[in-house]
Amino acid sequence: MGGRQGWYWGRGMDKAVLALSLACLAASATYGATKQSDSPGAQGVVAGHVPDQLEQAQQTPATATKPADGPPRWWAPGEGRVFPEFLQYDNPTGAVGLYNQGGAFKTAGHPFFEPLGRNGRACVSCHQPADGMALSLRSIQERWKATAGKDPIFAAIDGSNCPNLPQGDPASHSLLLKRGLFRVFLPWPPKAADGSRIKPEFDIEVIRDPSGCNLDPKYGLKSANPMISVYRRPRVVSNMQYVLHRNFGIGAFVGKTGEPAARDPENGQPVNMNMMADARQPTLKTQAVEAAITHLQFDGVLSPEQLNRIQAFENQMYSAQVRSNGAGSLVEPDGPTGFGPRNLAKGEKGVLGNNTTKWVIPVGDAWQKQKPGESDAEFAMRQSILRGQKIFHFRTFWIRNSMYLNNVGLGNPVKRTCSTCHGMHMTGMDAANGWMDIGTTNAPWAKEAPRNPWQTEDELMPLFKITCHKDVEPHPYLGRVIYTQDPGRALISGKCNDVGAIVMQQFRGLAARAPYFSNGSAANVRELIDFYDRRYNIQFSEQEKQDLEHFLESL
Amino acid sequence: MSVVMKNTLAALACAAFAGNAAVAAERGPLPFVTCPIVQDTPSVPCWIANYRGETYYLGIQSDVSAPFNPPSLGHKVLVEGSVKKGAPRICGGLVVEPVTVSIMPEMSPECEDMRQVDPRYVLPFEPPRPPGPSTGKLAFSYPAPPPPPKPPYKPMTFTVPYEFEGMVNFKTPRVLTPALTYGRLAKARRIEVAGYRGATRLSDGTVMAEHEGIAHARAEEIASMLRGAGLDQAKYVITADEHPAVGGPDERRTVITVVP
Repeated sequence: MGGRQGWYWGRGMDKAVLALSLACLAASATYGATKQSDSPGAQGVVAGHVPDQLEQAQQTPATATKPADGPPRWWAPGEGRVFPEFLQYDNPTGAVGLYNQGGAFKTAGHPFFEPLGRNGRACVSCHQPADGMALSLRSIQERWKATAGKDPIFAAIDGSNCPNLPQGDPASHSLLLKRGLFRVFLPWPPKAADGSRIKPEFDIEVIRDPSGCNLDPKYGLKSANPMISVYRRPRVVSNMQYVLHRNFGIGAFVGKTGEPAARDPENGQPVNMNMMADARQPTLKTQAVEAAITHLQFDGVLSPEQLNRIQAFENQMYSAQVRSNGAGSLVEPDGPTGFGPRNLAKGEKGVLGNNTTKWVIPVGDAWQKQKPGESDAEFAMRQSILRGQKIFHFRTFWIRNSMYLNNVGLGNPVKRTCSTCHGMHMTGMDAANGWMDIGTTNAPWAKEAPRNPWQTEDELMPLFKITCHKDVEPHPYLGRVIYTQDPGRALISGKCNDVGAIVMQQFRGLAARAPYFSNGSAANVRELIDFYDRRYNIQFSEQEKQDLEHFLESL
Repeated sequence: MSVVMKNTLAALACAAFAGNAAVAAERGPLPFVTCPIVQDTPSVPCWIANYRGETYYLGIQSDVSAPFNPPSLGHKVLVEGSVKKGAPRICGGLVVEPVTVSIMPEMSPECEDMRQVDPRYVLPFEPPRPPGPSTGKLAFSYPAPPPPPKPPYKPMTFTVPYEFEGMVNFKTPRVLTPALTYGRLAKARRIEVAGYRGATRLSDGTVMAEHEGIAHARAEEIASMLRGAGLDQAKYVITADEHPAVGGPDERRTVITVVP
């Protein structure tokens, strides 16, 4: 019954919407052929999975609530205030700074800041300046309290565990309220850029579905429009010239897998595929098109001008921590050369970091001696940050069974450091196409609630069983049967080796945007460090953990 | 079958015969399949393997640019090559050079030998890449590619090598990028992709062949990569020789012929 309902709803779109969908389908072939479009970045120029997402977005009810104005640190859609050249916001360990290289502008009418879709959200809803252009759990919880769950970020489409749940009940938004996770719904089987179906190398079975969405007859895997729902954190929309560089390691083929790299539909050039958790969109414009559909429930077509304005804004933003509660200013003129957003703006983009001329995170000669007026406590914290920087670059440990690190020529295990994977100068991202499985979403390393008779809280995340087909090679480290909370890149590629592989994120502004990892499984920086310590048996001392924590929180 | 294919197959048959003769003449300890061992040192770890009571040095950890890419614990490894006569042992092992290692796809949980630093084993050379950050460049550099050919363009072949049972991996772009560039320059009308299946005669006499169908899968994969990278206007002619050619690493290959 439910399935039929879903089918009729899906096919019951009005003519205008259906025409739009068809236009989208037709134009997605343009994407596949990478021809230049008369209307670059228009809705049709998107990857092949988007038309299916459009169908689900359109069948999901939305209410455009205008939230009460929040505190000055919250940017509500459509406020129209001026975005200055520089902004600074406090966070638990200091303050984050945002440098708007393009200079101050009015946000009224700007497509990044205006509520474009049916649910009242804007891009800025989930990319908040105070949270380093991402969205912290702290802000999410504050908005719930301030608006009794009415803020557009809690929209049914993806701000609740599933649109079929009673909206406004905290239990229906538990993934967002407890882990900062939004629902990402992707068609299964996956679709290629031209809209054709990809034959997956594996079968997928829903083992656990706390949200109910993967088994839902209208929104789930067996619906008329089969979708898999996974739950991920919003990513940082800042320092994007690093994220999107076309410098070291970027070419026609993906350096780690050998497969063809995704290309910019406007010019046919390969892109670095480092923007999204699963690398499913190649450019800021195509990402904006998909996000407008799936997150904003926008039924229209973003104009070339709107897309250009979104892209320009995202390319001119730099963010990083500027003050540490313990160490004071991080951006004094004679301070560390890699700290603060203005140094990021000046830095060289897309360079592989090293320990001679382009440190991954350079500190220069700063803070070597206590300065007049600098308290002992401040000097001690600065020394701790410097030690943390050295640990990041030089503390070796054995990295083992990590897909797309250990199988790309380094050996398994490989004796290296944090900066091996987090190697891009100034950001700590992977310089090359960077999806990798370190176990954040795959068993046995993914965070799971212990199951026993005394456990009072059930696991929030879904669990999928992946069975790799016999005619493909088994996953080199996980074999033919893999349990995962989020198949990651494999939901796009259909490849067994990609299960749980997630594109790594930049390290800047970390203190502003907890929790961490794509599934929000590290509540704070210490939990993040502890994950690595466990995963790779690093055996950090308590002092090393503290130093690394102070260093990461100063980025 | 094209003329190019016929000539290639004829040459292949001769090469296979010559290869067999050479193996029969040497009867050395290689090739063999065994568990790899990682032996840590004060700098980077080295990779060794034990076979029939002898230890062999395969190489060291460096980076993606290295000609030797270390194997994987948890998997057996096929070691092909020959022992370098007169070379002093490294990490306690006879030096195999040149060496080709292929990680066996199926998991082998018994391959778990990870050895701590042993004062007896110190690398007799400075590793090109330390275990920490790079020195600003990859450990190994390749000679600059020759300038792109100028018209008139002629049919040109490119050979993609593989590990045993291997498909496209991180090394493949080094071959495919020049093929792609040439295909674009020459405005390729036809691209012939011929996949081959290899087999290796181990030192104990066993012949170990790649699985049937791999030649076709290799050719299809390469064609799809070239198409996916933008070379989608040419006609693709895909052939596969599933007869397992007994020999060394060179038998495992795909040959791309770009025809203007």
